[in-house]
Amino acid sequence: MKRIFFVLIIFLSISLIFSCGKKTDDQSETISKLKQEIVELKATITKLEAELVLARTPKEPLKIGVLVPLTGIVAQGGLEMKYGIEMAAEEKGTVLGRPIELLVEDTQVKPPVAVTKAEKLVYKDDCKALIGVFSSGVGLALAKNIDKLNVPFVSTHVMTTKFYGLHPLVFRSGQLANDQTAVGNVKGIMARPDLMKRSYYVIVHDYSWGHDAGERFIALAKENGIKIVNEDYDKAPIATKDWSSYISKIKASGADAVYMAFITNVIPVFAKQASDFGLQGKVKLVSAAAPGPLELEAGGEACYGIFGASDWSWDVDNANSNDWEMRFWKKFNTIPSDAAVHSYVGAMNLFNAIEKAGSTDAKAIADALRGISFDGPYGNVRISAKDNCMRNSAVLTETMAAPENPFGAKVYMKVLKTFTADELGPPE
Amino acid sequence: MNNTTTIPGIQKGYYPLKILIIILLLLGLGLFPFISGNRFYISLITEMMIYGLLAMSLDVLLGYTGALSFMHNAYLGISAYVVGLFLIHISPTSLWLACFTGIIFTSLVALPVGWVQVRTGGLAFALLTLAFGMMFHTIVWKWYGVTGGDDGLMGMPNPDISLFGWNLGNTGNPVTIYLFTLIIVTICFFLTRRIINSPFGAVLEAIRENEDRASFVGINVRMYKLLGWMLACILASIAGALFILYKGYIGPSTMSAFAGAGVLMMVLLGGLGSLWGAFVGAAMFIYIQDYISTMSEHWEIYLGLVVIFLVLFLPTGFVGLGEHLKRFRKG
Amino acid sequence: MGGSLGIIVDITLNSLVLSGVFLIVAIGLNIIYGLSRIMNMGHGALYAVGAYTGYTLVATGLNYFAALIIAPIIVGAVGLLIERTIIAPMRKRSMVYTLILTYGLMFFLDGMIKYVWGNKPCFIDLPAFLQGTISILGTQYPVFRLATLFIIAAIMGGLMLFLNKTRIGIILRASSTIPEMVSCLGINMNYVHMGAFVLGSVMAGVAGIIAGPLTTIDPLMGGEMLISSFVVIVIGGLGSLRGAVIAALLIGFVQTFAEFFITDLAMVIVYILMAIILAFMPRGILGEGKFE
Repeated sequence: MKRIFFVLIIFLSISLIFSCGKKTDDQSETISKLKQEIVELKATITKLEAELVLARTPKEPLKIGVLVPLTGIVAQGGLEMKYGIEMAAEEKGTVLGRPIELLVEDTQVKPPVAVTKAEKLVYKDDCKALIGVFSSGVGLALAKNIDKLNVPFVSTHVMTTKFYGLHPLVFRSGQLANDQTAVGNVKGIMARPDLMKRSYYVIVHDYSWGHDAGERFIALAKENGIKIVNEDYDKAPIATKDWSSYISKIKASGADAVYMAFITNVIPVFAKQASDFGLQGKVKLVSAAAPGPLELEAGGEACYGIFGASDWSWDVDNANSNDWEMRFWKKFNTIPSDAAVHSYVGAMNLFNAIEKAGSTDAKAIADALRGISFDGPYGNVRISAKDNCMRNSAVLTETMAAPENPFGAKVYMKVLKTFTADELGPPE
Repeated sequence: MNNTTTIPGIQKGYYPLKILIIILLLLGLGLFPFISGNRFYISLITEMMIYGLLAMSLDVLLGYTGALSFMHNAYLGISAYVVGLFLIHISPTSLWLACFTGIIFTSLVALPVGWVQVRTGGLAFALLTLAFGMMFHTIVWKWYGVTGGDDGLMGMPNPDISLFGWNLGNTGNPVTIYLFTLIIVTICFFLTRRIINSPFGAVLEAIRENEDRASFVGINVRMYKLLGWMLACILASIAGALFILYKGYIGPSTMSAFAGAGVLMMVLLGGLGSLWGAFVGAAMFIYIQDYISTMSEHWEIYLGLVVIFLVLFLPTGFVGLGEHLKRFRKG
Repeated sequence: MGGSLGIIVDITLNSLVLSGVFLIVAIGLNIIYGLSRIMNMGHGALYAVGAYTGYTLVATGLNYFAALIIAPIIVGAVGLLIERTIIAPMRKRSMVYTLILTYGLMFFLDGMIKYVWGNKPCFIDLPAFLQGTISILGTQYPVFRLATLFIIAAIMGGLMLFLNKTRIGIILRASSTIPEMVSCLGINMNYVHMGAFVLGSVMAGVAGIIAGPLTTIDPLMGGEMLISSFVVIVIGGLGSLRGAVIAALLIGFVQTFAEFFITDLAMVIVYILMAIILAFMPRGILGEGKFE
């Protein structure tokens, strides 16, 4: 019985659909009349629309998607990146005569979330370019989907070497890449006899960036005759809070220097715990990433003596940099950081490229991005036409007690040496 | 034919209105990509359907066998990895074989866990799944050479979907994958419904209600529980295969224990023990999460509040909402 | 730096400190579960609230030891508020719902922490006499870590005294074994549940302020500690206090030794250990686990 009923229903619904298609002659006449009217109406509407669009185009904002982590382990870094990009957008004001509108989404440092958010920004909100992104995993997942998204993507905080020449729409303009940092750090160590003689213990965060950074440093250090204690370096889970077993391991190994590749806000944590164990002063800390200034402040004296190469520190002394710092401080009341400044420069490069391209077409922007450069707080930052990644000068810094400064900072990264872009490579 | 025992909670029989609604719903979903060209909503609905399938499989487990699992998303992950690895390393074109391998492999992993499940059960098992889930998550994270670690699986090819030599389109196309997901999920839904409404489903419920009594009647309790477990895991692995075809990417964060709690949330939001409720729950959860996380950087506060309010004031989930309204109308 | 003896002393002390923190968090979770059958997923967040409150108290110039007493009281008050508003109405519902409810609570508290204290890590300043290191058997060990061991021992001792000697403690213990009998004796079970939740929250707060100076305070500390304490109470047997002590020691030692000797797979080993123990001893290491 039920089955019969079921079949009946299906028949009914199908016949209903077909009956809609049939029409009597009488109806068809009226319908054809109506159709004509509709066609006419449509033509008028399209005309009006075109005029409207023309009138509105110059005022319609240009939307740029900002993907930064605002929750999760690197939330502070993500916030600083957001500040840098916002500042660039405000200073630039308009592109192609259109105001810049930033749409910010939280990646949560989770690749699938970032991909969904990117789809939302591009498909739903019609963003013409994506910028930001922290962590290689997130960056690579986005790069994998960039063909579908079909917009240029400028990463400002993805350090993996896999990004060199990865995709015509994928760019890097931001934090030094792993190979560049390793070159900077090894050159810095070689220039200091007291550091050259030390034997290094390598410890990294267990994810792709950490592995990459550790391996590059070990290879380069060995070439230059720097002693590495553990070539099979330690990989600590990102969730590690208690570093005591690693510190005991370092003590046991007899190393007198540590090369660490940790997420920025973990650097002071490790330094603090190493100092609790009385290692400060005995074991030199060399870092593959710039520690965030807020985290350094939290760590205080325990964070003195961290050595490493990075793009910038507020100690960089030139008119452009000093001016930028003060603008940033006034706007956000936060100590200016490396993450903020290189995101600012990356955003400026993107905005200028759109201006140069003269349109919002993905390919045109990408072509304009290749070879573009911007003179910012740390000199000229140029996106290489060969591999889509930036070349810029950088600084070698060591953390110590800060002199009198407008930000009220107690710890700062003192600039020891400046590298030119050619010194850090990679060759083009 | 007529010895149908009515089981509380499951509405049997085919009501014309119900069928009409289902037909209209499927028709609407099927035509959606042609009506709205917005690819974001196409993607979002694809994701909702995939998570709906996963939530439904957990619903089969929790609502019909009473076993609580925190690692259900781990099966989605394992299956996705296997399908992805198969397509990358063995054959970039044989889609069906890849999915089949994914399902078989996931079942092989699920079997020993199920073996433990039928012997422990209850909260101890729920916490055991937490341990297993974290173990799989850590292994995937650590097995760099194969899984790509934290970077996730890279270089997934986009195979064509072909059936009997008839090419239906490429998985790289969002509309194709949307329709493909819709068809597979619909088939899975009706198959599961059929299985649940069969005597097998009735036995499962009898076991859930009273294990001892069921065993006195002569039911092989462990056997049936294991079968229910395997059914849920196979459904989850199908969701996994769809997931990787849709995203073209899988990483360890999809498999974490907290993501597993999210799937559980979907089931409860939809209403326990009703298959379609799981889909409603998944759609609601994904939409709410997506909507709230755009609102402000402090979205965690709002999401937490929404979850708390839903659990407090919508105890039977979305499915129970209808009952509430009925009671309200009756006075 | 130190011979092999020094290394062994180092690792052993590290393991003990880690076990101690695990223990205090897990005991709090265990008390709540044992008495009201609620698996509080927000427990980790309460631990973080304890640490942050302690940080703020010390930063405003309070002595660390005063903060050690005040911060847990504040967390206990937060716990009371949570229990009255959202946990109590859920008493009659299936445990699955309280799991999800407290999952929402975890999100809410984590979000609030970020809203109030921001994203950056914080460090608790210690009084001068606890800073620096002390020489034990050929190794330099931080004074504070040693002091922590004594603090944890004192807290555990105090808890045991409270549960065994005071009237409230005895009621609590009795309720964990035969709740029906206790309510027959004319004791309002509502107060017992309330007391359990508050006591559990206080323990979370204590653990937070102890762990603060040891590790670091950041918004993610809760989630990670929650998983570790789950592992501990599951291995020890749900609701079993003796089991939790043994399990905390076991996990503390296994994790520290694994981190030292085979670094890369440390956590995999901990989880495999948990899976094996559960598969063969579902009621935990002492077989005292309680569940329906």
